Parts: sequence; structure tokens; C-alpha cells
Amino acid sequence: MSGSGKFHIGRVLSNRKLAEGHYRMGIAVPAAFPEAAPGQFVLIRVKDRSFPFLGRPLGVYAQERGPGGSRLEILYRVAGRGTGVLSLLKKGDALEVLGPLGQGFKAVRGRDRVVMIAGGIGIAPLTPLARRLCAKLPARATLDFYYGAERADFLVGLGTLRDTCRSIRIATDDGSRGFRGPVTDLFAGDLKNYPPARTVVYACGPRAMLKRISELLAGSPIRCQVSVEERMACGVGACLGCVVETKDERKPYKRVCKEGPVFDLNEIVWR
Amino acid sequence: MAKRKPRMEVSIGPMTLKNPVMTASGTFGYGEEYAPYVDLNRLGAIIVKGISLEPRAGNPPPRIMETEGGMLNVIGLENVGVFSFISEKLPFLKRYNVPVIVNIFGESLEEYRRVAEILGRTAGIHALEVNVSCPNVDRGGIAFGCDPDLCYEITRTIKAVTDLPVILKLTPNVTDIAELALRCEAGGADAVSLINTLKGMTVDIEKRTPHLSRVTGGFSGPAVKPVALGMVWEVVKRVSIPVIGIGGIMTAEDALAFLIVGARAVQVGTANFVNPRATMEILEGIEAYLARHGIQDVNDLIGSLKESGE
Repeated sequence: MSGSGKFHIGRVLSNRKLAEGHYRMGIAVPAAFPEAAPGQFVLIRVKDRSFPFLGRPLGVYAQERGPGGSRLEILYRVAGRGTGVLSLLKKGDALEVLGPLGQGFKAVRGRDRVVMIAGGIGIAPLTPLARRLCAKLPARATLDFYYGAERADFLVGLGTLRDTCRSIRIATDDGSRGFRGPVTDLFAGDLKNYPPARTVVYACGPRAMLKRISELLAGSPIRCQVSVEERMACGVGACLGCVVETKDERKPYKRVCKEGPVFDLNEIVWR
Repeated sequence: MAKRKPRMEVSIGPMTLKNPVMTASGTFGYGEEYAPYVDLNRLGAIIVKGISLEPRAGNPPPRIMETEGGMLNVIGLENVGVFSFISEKLPFLKRYNVPVIVNIFGESLEEYRRVAEILGRTAGIHALEVNVSCPNVDRGGIAFGCDPDLCYEITRTIKAVTDLPVILKLTPNVTDIAELALRCEAGGADAVSLINTLKGMTVDIEKRTPHLSRVTGGFSGPAVKPVALGMVWEVVKRVSIPVIGIGGIMTAEDALAFLIVGARAVQVGTANFVNPRATMEILEGIEAYLARHGIQDVNDLIGSLKESGE
């Protein structure tokens, strides 16, 4: 009746430092691991280690499927001791990989002005979406990618993105590359160029960035989906630990692991 | 020929469980969340998320924080309410051949009574576990569970309105947990389960704020196991009703320690979050241990602790 569900044992194939605190990990997972939709994530735990105690939710950055299984790529930034442990993993280390989990980004029919806004490591779940959408974007459609980071060398994955998107606009906090200032300011300057009824925005980044987008788009018919983060325990919707506050009065708290991590911008209460 | 499997049935009051491995309330959802990972039919019992009379939204985030060897939570008893539980969640569980134990919660004696009464006349429910130990709500829960006389009163009130076996789930945040257990026994409880979470706190030193929305939360996970085991031992010595051991059980070895100390059954909680198949691995590990030691019946292991020096 039951198997192992979405629970897989994976092996580290590579774990490369891209910039200070930024890493890219390749993980081999068995063939039972299905294709992850853009925006879905995995909960990763180091096998047989007592710390980190809980898995870490990380967006699937890329997936190559082969006959014997998949190679997953994870882009992550060391944010604390847990991700610090991940950064020390070596080729061959065993991982417990739960996934793919959650609801990914959804295509919005009739919206041919596609905008993506990534803040820092928020690039991770948006890259597979860009790749997917570019492959089937109608001729008249456009895809503009706004990518912001603290400084130029933190713009990880820019090369990969360049292969996918023609229009990439860059912002850095210190001005070491592109626009100097928050990526949302860069986007705000272009906002008037996007016909609201034809535009869809996909965003992932720090909460302050998403909140700023919600202010910029308040009252606008522009559709926007955001991928959010919360501390998470089970990943399967049981513990109710990873909730975000939504405007649904009947059920105000929604689970990032189950109903998310992608939500409609207007669904969330931005405090 | 394969060796005969050890007998695993245990009894909790009038209830017979096919084995002593249950899921702890709040860590296994309503069962359906773990169905892809666990053969629910193999569990001794499923204890579902704590149910109140009306739906509860729970506490604002952040609701959890990892710690050394465990985690803190302030979920706040978010649940669908007793009526939605019966109409939307119970039908799924009834498809399985596994006893369903409903954890119940109230902000008042009257709410506990009403929830118990409603569930008591609902088919497909095998027992009630009364939460008098949640540290994360303003009213009810621990407010009742710290007072032995209120524990007695709640037990009597619930026993008066239902024929279902009644288990009282106790808090460790007291001076003498055995005193609580004794009062529950006097009130007619069929069993007690312990421990619920320990009250704890963590601080973000950069922001100088608590990590959790309600400042303090309930601490669970392997770090609490020695505390839980010690308390089970204290209670087992004092009461004659079955004691169900809970607290930091991650492996079969952990579960076996509780059984040896005298727990009639165990609940697996936080371990489910770390390994969705934890209950199955624990069950198989207990069976393997019994086989390895030539113990034919798990009941021969329960309470078999040898106290050296006494």
C-alpha cells in the first residue's frame, strides 16, 4: 500500500563554491524522483547526522533526467549553521531528499509580457521557470528578467540565465554592476512600460523585496506570483510549522510546503 | 521455516492494539499526510491532530525553530474543528484497519465535555486522548494540566459523557507529574500519556527578539528523551493504569527503553518530521530486538527494568 513516497536517498555529485557564501550542489537521485515543476523544492537532510536536525527547504535549480535517475542542481546561500553544514559536504556524501514538494509557478493565459524579479539566491526557482517559458513563448511575447544582488560576484547563475533570457536587467546594492540600488527600484522605473492587462510578474527573493513589489503593484491588474520562504519541519503538510499569513479569513494561515511555496502576491498579508 | 514472529499486541484499558507504536498528536496531521510513506494499517494506533469544538486558526508565524537535538513549536492547536474533522478527515481514516484516537482540546471544561460527547457518539473512533498540556495557547491546555484537581475534574467530566477509553496527555512542566497521573487515575482515566513538550525559548541575538511569535514554545525531539524517560519511570511506579511513553523517540532503541521502563506503548512524534517512515522503522526494530533476544511477547519486555542497587 505504501512505499517511500517522495522520500529518496541521494548522493552529492558536486558542491562548488560560486562566491562568498554561495554554493551550487549537484545531487544524484533515483529514477523514482519525478520531474520537478519550476518553483517546486526539496527538503534536504544530511543522512545519519543529528545536526541539522531538520531538513532544509531548497528550490530545484535544474534537473537532468537520465535512465538511472536524475541529477538535481541546488543553488543555495549559507544563511546559518544548517546551510553551513551543507556547504561542507563532499562528493559521495549521502543525503535524504524529500521531494519534489509544493506548488510551483503557474502559467497565466493571455499574459505575453512576462517579468521575473529575483533577489539574491531567489534566482534559484526562477531559472527553471525562465527556461520553461522561453521554450514556448509565443513570437510576440517578451520575457524581462530583473536580477538584484548585494554585489556583482553574488549574481550567481547569471551565465546560465544569459543562455535563456535576452533581456536581463541587473541591480546591485553597491553599484558594482548595473543599476545601483534595490532591484525593485529598477523594476519600478520600467513599470509604466508594461501593459497591466498583458503582464505577469514572477518573483522570488527576500521578504522585504516581495513586500515592496506588493506596494508597487497595489491596485494594478498585473498578475504576480511570488515564491516565499518559512522555517519548515515536515515538508508534507502535517506539522503546520511553515505557514504564512494570508487574507483568507476562513483559513488565514497557509502552509508553504503544501499550498506554497508559490502564492499569488495578493493572497499574502505583507507585514 | 521462518521463525515465529513475536507477539506484539498490547492493551490500553479496554483497547487492544496490534502493536505498541502510535503516532503522537500534532506530528502526524490527520493521517492522510503520511499515507504515501507509511502503511497506516501497520500502526498500533493513529492519534490525530488536537481537535477543538470550533476550528482554530493557530498562532501567527514564525511557529517553529530548530535547536540542538530538537525543535520548538508554537503551532497553537490549529485544527479544522470537530465537525469538519468528522465529515472531512475521519472518512479517510475509516478506510484503514487502524484504531483512531482523537486528541481533544478545550478552552473550558464545557468545551472538553462537548467535544468528547460529539466524538463519543461518532463511529470509527476508538479512544480519546485529552490534551491538558499544550503550552502554546492562552486558555485551556496547560492551564488545566498543571492543576491536579482540574485534571481529576476533566477526567471525570469526560468519562461521564463517553464510553470511549480516555487517555490524559500530561505536561512535564510541573513539579510532580506523578501526582497529576494519580489524580487522572482517580478520575477514571483508562491511561495516561506523557510527556507533552517542555516549555522553552530561543533568541535571535542580532535582532534581540525571540525566534517564535509567542516568545516561548514547546520543546520536542531527541534532546527531551531522558527527561521523558525519567518521568515515565516516576509515573509507572505510582499508578496502575497503562502509561504511554512519549518524548524524543527517534529509533527502535529509544522506544525499547520506554517499554523496558514500563510504558505499555509509545508515541512517535517529532521523528516523523525528520523521517516520514520513522514509525515503520521503529516497529520493525522492536520486532527484530524481540526476535534477537528470544522474547516471544512484547508484554514480557514491558516493565522489565532491572534496578541495580535496590
